[in-house]
Parts: sequence; C-alpha cells; structure tokens
Amino acid sequence: MANITKKVSWSSRGDDPAQGEGTPLLNGATEAARCTTRQFSGGNIFRIGRMSTVDLEEETNTEEDSVLSRPKEIPHNEKLLSLKYESLDYDNSENQLFLEEERRMSYMGFRCLEISRWVVCGLIGFLTGLIACFIDIVVENLAGVKYQVVKQNIEKFTEVGGLSISLILWAVLNSVFVMMGSVMVAFFEPIAAGSGIPQIKCYLNGVKIPRVVRLKTLVVKVFGVICSVAGGLAVGKEGPMIHSGAVVAAGVSQGRSTSLKKDFKIFEYFRRDTEKRDFVSAGAAAGVSAAFGAPVGGVLFSLEEGASFWNQMLTWRIFFASMMSTFTLNFFLSIYHGKTGDLSNPGLINFGRFESDSVEYNLYEIPIFIVMGALGGVLGALFNVLNYWLTIFRIRYVHRPCLQVMEAMLVAAVTATVSFAMIYFSNDCQPLGEDQAEEYPLQLFCADGEYNSMASAFFNTPERSVRSLFHNPPGSYNPLTLGVFTLSYFFLACWTYGLTVSAGVFIPSMLIGAAWGRLFGILLSTISSSTATWPDPGKYALIGAAAQLGGIVRMTLSLTVIMVEATGNVTYGLPIMLVLMTAKIVGDYFIEGLYDVHIKLQSVPFLHWEAPATSHSLTAREVMSSPVTSFNRIEKVGTIVDILSNTTTNHNGFPVVNELIDHNELGKICGLILRSQLIVLLKHKVFVERARSRLNQRKLQLKDFRDAYPRFPPIQSIHVSQDERECMMDLTEFMNPTPYTVPQETSLPRVFKLFRALGLRHLVVVDNENRVVGLVTRKDLARYHLGKHGLEEMQLAQT
Amino acid sequence: MIVLNILGCLVTLTLFNSGRASTFGVDTTALEPEVSGDGALFLVNNALHSLEVSDYCRELLHIFAERYISYVSCLVTSVRPVKICQNCYIHFSILKEMYNNISSDQVGPDNVSCHDSLLRSDRLMLVFQLYQDQQQIWTTSNCASCLSEDSLSNVTLYYMTVLNQSLTCFEKNQEQGNHSILCKECKTSYRGLNELYGRMEKNHSLCLDIEYSMSITRGLWSKTFNCSFPRAETVPVIAVSSFMLFLPIIFYLSSFLHSEQKKRKLIHPKRAILHSNLMNIQDRSS
Repeated sequence: MANITKKVSWSSRGDDPAQGEGTPLLNGATEAARCTTRQFSGGNIFRIGRMSTVDLEEETNTEEDSVLSRPKEIPHNEKLLSLKYESLDYDNSENQLFLEEERRMSYMGFRCLEISRWVVCGLIGFLTGLIACFIDIVVENLAGVKYQVVKQNIEKFTEVGGLSISLILWAVLNSVFVMMGSVMVAFFEPIAAGSGIPQIKCYLNGVKIPRVVRLKTLVVKVFGVICSVAGGLAVGKEGPMIHSGAVVAAGVSQGRSTSLKKDFKIFEYFRRDTEKRDFVSAGAAAGVSAAFGAPVGGVLFSLEEGASFWNQMLTWRIFFASMMSTFTLNFFLSIYHGKTGDLSNPGLINFGRFESDSVEYNLYEIPIFIVMGALGGVLGALFNVLNYWLTIFRIRYVHRPCLQVMEAMLVAAVTATVSFAMIYFSNDCQPLGEDQAEEYPLQLFCADGEYNSMASAFFNTPERSVRSLFHNPPGSYNPLTLGVFTLSYFFLACWTYGLTVSAGVFIPSMLIGAAWGRLFGILLSTISSSTATWPDPGKYALIGAAAQLGGIVRMTLSLTVIMVEATGNVTYGLPIMLVLMTAKIVGDYFIEGLYDVHIKLQSVPFLHWEAPATSHSLTAREVMSSPVTSFNRIEKVGTIVDILSNTTTNHNGFPVVNELIDHNELGKICGLILRSQLIVLLKHKVFVERARSRLNQRKLQLKDFRDAYPRFPPIQSIHVSQDERECMMDLTEFMNPTPYTVPQETSLPRVFKLFRALGLRHLVVVDNENRVVGLVTRKDLARYHLGKHGLEEMQLAQT
Repeated sequence: MIVLNILGCLVTLTLFNSGRASTFGVDTTALEPEVSGDGALFLVNNALHSLEVSDYCRELLHIFAERYISYVSCLVTSVRPVKICQNCYIHFSILKEMYNNISSDQVGPDNVSCHDSLLRSDRLMLVFQLYQDQQQIWTTSNCASCLSEDSLSNVTLYYMTVLNQSLTCFEKNQEQGNHSILCKECKTSYRGLNELYGRMEKNHSLCLDIEYSMSITRGLWSKTFNCSFPRAETVPVIAVSSFMLFLPIIFYLSSFLHSEQKKRKLIHPKRAILHSNLMNIQDRSS
C-alpha cells in the first residue's frame, strides 16, 4: 500500500537533467547556483573499457526515454543498491568552529580525552560481558525448564502411551517461545533480525544502517535471542552478542541515550561518526570475546571486518575492551556456578577443554584435515546457495510482519517435529556414564540405564550438543545417528537462518560440522585396521566444525583464533588454519560467504578492500554523479530549504562554490557543507540579517552540532517563515574549507582507494580550473562489481 | 541366569562382609615374610641400616606392608561382582590409619619421626606412591559415599535389601518361558528399586558397588527379560509429524500465490550524458 502512495511522487520526479533545470525552484531563487547542467561534448572520450562488448548504437534513445518516463519496477534481486543506506561521515570537517575549539582546548584537555577513551572502552567491555552473562544464564534456565517439562511428559507417555501428545507439547512450547521473540523483532525492530554480524560489518565499512545501534535494537535483540534459543530453533546466541556489544559501545561512548531522552553530559567530544566507529569496533570485539571467550579473536574480528582505520593505540584499546568483557563474563559466571573468583575455571571455556592426549595429531593427518576443509567448503557453499534462494523468496513474498511471525513459528514447530521423529525412530542406545555430561538424557525405548543417543544431539541447546560432540568418548554415537542428524540439521539450520528472529549462524554451522566431522573420524577408524593410530573422534568433530563454519562464513584469521581460544587449545592452530584456508578457497569458487550474500541481498552499498580488478579504464568522470547541486558561499535561505526538502534528490553533501555570474558556468570549489550542518544552521536561524540586527547573539559552537548528532531532525520539522526565506546565510564559517578533490581523469581504483582508506562520504571531482564538475559518493563506487561478463553495474532502487 | 546366581550370591555375601575381612587378614600375614625377605632390603643391613631407619619405623613399615597386602588382595578378589566398597572398607581404613601414623610428624619412642625417613628420603618415594595409588582407586570408586562412620551407611543397606527383593522376584518368575508374567509381577519391586536408585543418584550417595549391581539388574530387566516399553504408537506419531511437515508447504505455497510480490523501483542517478549509454549496455548484458 505504501508503494502506491510513493509512486505518485516518483512519477513527477525531475531526474531528467533538462527537466530539472526547467523546474523553477520555489520563491524564484534563480540567482543561486544549483543544478547546473553540463553536457559533456565529445562522447568519444568515454572509454567503456572491457564492458564494451555490446554495440552502443541500437535503440538507446527509445529505451532511455521509456526508462525515464516512468519508474521501472523489478523484482528484488542481488544486483541492486538501496537508497535507504547512507554513508557515515568519517572525514573530519575542519571548519572554523573546529579550529576554534581546538585552540581553546588545553594540553590537559587532550590528556583527559585520551583517558576517557580508555574509560569508555572499559565500560564497553564490562557492560557487554554483563549482557552476555545475562543471555547465557537466562537461556540456560529457560531451556532447562522447557526440556525438563518435555522430558517428564515424554517419560509419562512412554509408559502409558500417547507420545504424539508429547510431540505436540514440544512443538507448541517451541512455537510459543519463538512467537514471542519473532513478534518483538517483526513488529518493533526489524533490524534486530538475524545475527547482526552483516549489519555490524556494514557499519564498520562506513554504511549507516538505520537504527542499527540503538538501545531499542539492543533490547529487542537480547530478548529475541533468548526466545529463539530457548525456542529450540537451530540457532546460536553468538552473533547477537556481537551486535549487542556494538550497540553498547555506540551507546556508552555517546554518554546519552536518545531513546530514553537522557543525556549524561559526558563524552560529548565523542559524538561524531569517526569516534563512534572506533568504539563500535571495540564493542564488536568485546561481543566476540564474550560470546566465545576469545579476546584475541575479538580484536582480530574487528580488524578483519573494519580494517581501513586501524592504528596501534586503537588496537590496544580494543584489546582492553575485549579482555574486560571476558573477565566480566567469567567473573559473573563463576559466581553463578558457585566458584566465586575462580576465573580460570575450565567450565568457562565455551566448547570445553580438550584433554591433552586427545589433541595429538600427526603429520599424516594433515592431508585428511585438508580434505575435510574442502568438504566443508563445498557443504558451506551449498548452504549459502540454498539460503540465498530462500532469502530472495522471503524478501519477495514473505515481507508482511504477521507472515514473518507465522513462518518463524512454523519453523520452530517443524524443528521440534523433526527432532522428535528422529529421536523416536532412533535405535541408537548408549549407556549412561559418568563422563558424558548429558543434561537431559531421554530413555524412551532404550533399556534402563541407557539413553537415546539421538536425543543427546537433538534434545539439547545447540551449544551443548556441540560440546558433547566434541568431548563424548569414542563410541557414544552410531555412524547412522550422526549421518541422519547432519542431514536433517543442515536443512533445518539453512531454513532457519534469515527468519525474522534474532539468532546467529555460528553454532548451528559448528554443530553440522561437528556431526559430520565426528562421523568422518569414526569412519576413518573403521577403515584403517590399525587400532590405536586414529584416536578420538572428538578431534575430527572439531576439525569438521571449523571446516563447516569456514565454509559458511568464510572468515579466516579471526575465526582461526576464535576456534583456538574457544577450545582452549593452541596445538590445533595449524590444522584449523589449514582447514579454514581450504574451506575458503573451495567455497569461494562457488559463492561468497553467507554474510556477504546477505549484505548484497540487503542492497547495501558495501565497499570491498579493492576496486574491481578490471576497472582501471573507468575514470572519475564516468563514475561521478554529474550535475551537482551546489551552494554559494552566501546563499539565500529559501534556496537552501527548497533543495533540502526536495525528496527526489535527497542529497547529503553540497559543494560550496564561489559567486557565479553566469548560471551556466561551473563554480570554483571553496568548500563542502553537509545536510546535517545546514539543518542545524537553519534550526538556530544563523542568518546574516539576524546577526546584524542582534549583535549579542550567541555564536554557534561545535557543541550545537554535536547535540543534534546522530538524529538530525528532518527538514520538514524546521519551520522557516516567508520573511526568513529572503534572508541570507553565510556558510563560510561552517563548511569544510578543504574537501578532498580529484581531477576528472582519476581512475576508479584510485578514487576507490581514497574513499576506502579515508572513509570519505563525498569526493568532489573538479576540472583543471578547480571548478566542480561532479561528486562521487559511496553508491557511485559500490555499483561496480565483477560479474561473469566482466564489469557489471548495479542499479539504484527504492526499497 | 548365571549372572542372576552371581548376584544372589553377592547379596548374601554382603551380610557377612565383616567376617570375611578378618579371614583375609589371616591370609595376608602368611604371605608377609616373602615380601620383607626381599633381596634389596637384605642388602641394606648393619650400620647403614640402623643409621637410616630406626627400629620403630621399621616396625611401622612392616605393619603398613601387611595391611597393604591384605587390602590389595581384598580388592582383587572383590572385583567381580564388584563389591569393593563393601568388602574392603575395613582394610582401607586400617591402611589409612597406618599411613597417617607414618606420615604424621609425631615423634616415636626413639625420638625420631618416620615421616622423612620412610616417605621422602629417596627419589621413588615408594610408600607414598603406593598409598597414593590405592587412595586414587578408592576415590574413583566413590566408596566414601556408601559409608558412614566406618561402616556401610543405612541407605546402602536399605538399597541392598530392596535389590534383594527384586532379584528374588526375578528368580521366582524366570522359570516360565514367557517373560511377560515376570515383567508384570516384578514391576513394583523393580520400580521401587529404580526410584530408590534415582533418589540416591540425586543425593550423590552412589558408590561403584551400587552402580554396578544396578546396571546388572537393569540389564536383566531390559535385555534379558525384555521388559522395556515397546515402540507401539508409530502411526499417530507419523501422522502428527507429517501434518506438521505439511504446514510449511501450505504456508509457502499460499504466500507465493496470494502475497503480492515486492517490487523495487529503479532510480536513475544523475550522470554525465553519455553515461546512460553505459547503463543500457549493462541492462542488456545482465
């Protein structure tokens, strides 16, 4: 329905350059320079490079016309860039206000800033650890209650008959839990769906994902993940913990909460995108370290995902935050487990410590590990392809919140059903022993004193299942059980990821991998006749888990370290590294990692490390958006308001040019001003006329800009009267006087490098006389990607 | 059936365990001279001998050796059926007492402490090592939880009687070829045993003996007599499961057919003029 209302405004949009110039701006502010159209003569200077495999001539005009006359609608696909996403401003605006503030600040002031950065990092670690601890304990208890109830019910009905009732009870319990979580996510904060790692990855890349680091998101995320794990879905709580860490960081570093309308008046200096990004990367690291007990892995995760802005001090601070979060988590868990202060308690290691004799591996096992890595790559790619199609289907057809909730509930019910059926028909009974830590052993039709081995994999939270697959002694599982489990869990996990619940994919992938890895280990020992040379299948479970996880998410360095730390075992560094390398190489041959697939499907303008390989022939002139909307140094308020409220363009950065005499002429660049700055200026009514009339008016400070950050009011909420429209505004003081510029002939990879390394939002393209000819933004760069037919271009779309 | 007989024998033996312990004591004293007449001990004689170890300590060592032997031989003979805790707890307690004597710093009649001379004066520290091993066995078999105040705890004795009831019932009914009568007859006593065991498990008052006897009994019940629950309701479970599995198919089909497909509106960015050509090329090629 919303689509239809929007359509009206779209049909009359002036994105045809000629039309745009013809449309008179309100109030007849014609003397200001804006929308200057330049048509470049001599089209032959545009080289199209490797893309020019198709002839240029035929029908271009008719097609162009039809395209421009009405908005074209296409089904959602991966080759789109959404208008919804904007860039973050990592470039510092060195305007006069900034210089003044810096002059005022004493040496001590800078020292204090440095100290408060450390304080903030410590707080981030502490709070993230607390949240992780809360999630851990609540999930454990809720799941405990649920499994206890179901277990008692099953025991009762095993005796008197009517097990289908237990099945229904289990399914209903699961659905109810999942419904609560899903309703929260679907109706209150859809951005909290999924693992959150793709979103954080985008944020660190410099994309502003709306609402991703808000308090509300955090609350929904935590509640949602508790519900979905307790609801027995094939999910883990690790991804959401990372997201939570990032939100905590963004909140703490700002010293206020806009959602709660509470301002503590601290850390005001950090209210900028650059500082916030540094803290968010610390928060993500703290999240990883709380989720896996892997502080170094956390730092490396942040490094891997957002490495364009790295320096030593920041690394050290991030490491501090990570360590604090592990410490907090361990400390509170040790209290919870009744061993206060025992921080090195092995029970705190996430996936259990491997005993020293089961961790041995030999040179001849390395090729086997590599084969397992390749297998993990293939299976991971299969997972990603299936999930890709499923996600496209979901975006196209299952987009209404109530449908999404229903889908999640159905998945929960089916998960319970499949698990129950597997357990019911399994004949694999194993003796109960001291060494297995089965929380909820189910006997069912097994002999007394034995438990159903399938139940130890299905009738448990996924994390515990991983642990028992790693550590249960040889012979605890039948090969058949493991095979069936792998198969069914693979499809369940693949189906589950992308539902409108907040849940991560780490643990399910590890579980799949651990199951087939263990199977692999058992088969190896049956094939080879010699007995003692193939020890513990738990070792192969670990390698399998690493392979599968690497095949799905394609992380490298950080994942190696996370796996090593989460199992408390440095000995496996080499095999895990080899396995992850192979899995990535093999998997990348088929499809990208799951997170990248989802980032693409969300149409996020994501900048990878490098520009596409064959793009050197493209120049800034071809890449840029060409008729630039720009302002004069001293600009009429009416013009500014009109341009800002023009919904069809919705630009965020405007070059400021010197006074123009002829309107068809391009202006020389003097600076760059942002929409957010203009809005603050309009709100405070910083007009030339007012300054003259009231000399004692308070001078605007940088603080006024920070107070409005990060939610600048929309232009519609600012009232400008008819009289004020005639006033003038002097932008000189507020604009960034030295924006980055490039000449027109700069190649795309060069522009790309500047953009990626400096975290730019706008890059002005100038001709040889320093006149503004175009503006390069993130979306202009992100649309190029290397496809099957060479360089391809993505389209912009309204989503 | 053999297992059953062994079990029956096992239970009757429990009642006489104190008597057995004393007989073993006698046996071991007979073995003792052989050990102490060992060549190595013989070599270290005269001056060296009296310098190193006092007579008092030698005496202690001698008693320790006796008790050690009796204890170990008790363990070995009680291995099957497992009756380690019941049979050997007296042996262990006196061994422990002796070891405590040796290892304590209290001074004997010659004004010497045997702690250093017996336990720590050589690299091997044999006495210490031997005692450690035995203690390890004792803790692993968790015998302490079946004992209270140097004798079998009341719970353990009660468990033994309940176990005995079940076994007698098994014995009485196993004559018939069909075990269904046995399953019906002995259900109450067996269930009582099972519940008692469950309670004891919760209280952590299980030791190896009890665990073993219970697992044998459970094996009899479930495997030999085949009294576990049959898998009887396959049809309803399959029916409910397939109904559940059917729901998502309906859901996806209906949302595919009825839900309006979400379309994206394309937006054409402002470009230098020739750029639109390039866009069109891409449109066609992709």
